Amino acid sequence: MRESTLQLVNYVMILALLVTLALHLAMQAFLGVSGYEDALTYDTAVARYREPLSASLLTILLVAASYHGLYGLRNILLEMRSGVGWSRLVTGVTLGLGAVMLGWGIRTIVVAFAGV
Amino acid sequence: MREAIVSIEPAKAVRGNVIDTQVRWALRRPRNLEKLALLVQRVSGVGLLGYLFFHIFVTGSVTGGRDAWDGVMSILSNPSAHIGELLVVVGATFHAINGIRVMLLELSPLVGRAKRPDYPYKVQSLGKGQQSILYAAMIMAGLSTIAGIVILWGL
Repeated sequence: MRESTLQLVNYVMILALLVTLALHLAMQAFLGVSGYEDALTYDTAVARYREPLSASLLTILLVAASYHGLYGLRNILLEMRSGVGWSRLVTGVTLGLGAVMLGWGIRTIVVAFAGV
Repeated sequence: MREAIVSIEPAKAVRGNVIDTQVRWALRRPRNLEKLALLVQRVSGVGLLGYLFFHIFVTGSVTGGRDAWDGVMSILSNPSAHIGELLVVVGATFHAINGIRVMLLELSPLVGRAKRPDYPYKVQSLGKGQQSILYAAMIMAGLSTIAGIVILWGL
């Protein structure tokens, strides 16, 4: 994929991340909970995974944060050295990390949504 | 005919280790706040990515049932973990607002207009508009520190 397309996708992910992360942090502190301790209880956590809107929010947050983070890491690593081999290695490693993060994160959301 | 001025020296590769090329350059002259902001942006970004990786696996314990979840939460209920969480909130706040500044510099007229380079060579992209967003990022990071302390420690 062209670098300009990757950057365009990154801008979209940043916008999604700004909204979903703000909501996620609010949901840990005061939105729908009495406090931070309440947000960390098992019942609250499971209820959030089982609620479709909240599960969708977590999915968007997971995809946006993983893409933005790994794209940023890739850019930093590509600036450190140059060469086709290095570029392929960095892209491969970031894609691999992305597969692990998205795979495990989506598995958690799907399993918890379906019922633990 | 006037000849073009070209460099006959090969480009010099940046020497030094990762700390030299990624950290110390921000502290070298000419120093400015924007270079430091880029350094903090990168350090906070890498830190947040590390946290995200860890966070995905920690929250994955919810699929293991109540005992697995409570076990992980009891491990993480300590002052060191709370300090780590506070750093995440502060880092995310600064990273987000400074990131908006960088996006606006790339996509909006905030970057400034092209101008003939006269002494003292003021860089058009380092104007007061973008600097005010950088100050806002620092203030918001400070406020999020206070909010984080209140929420995490209930002060």
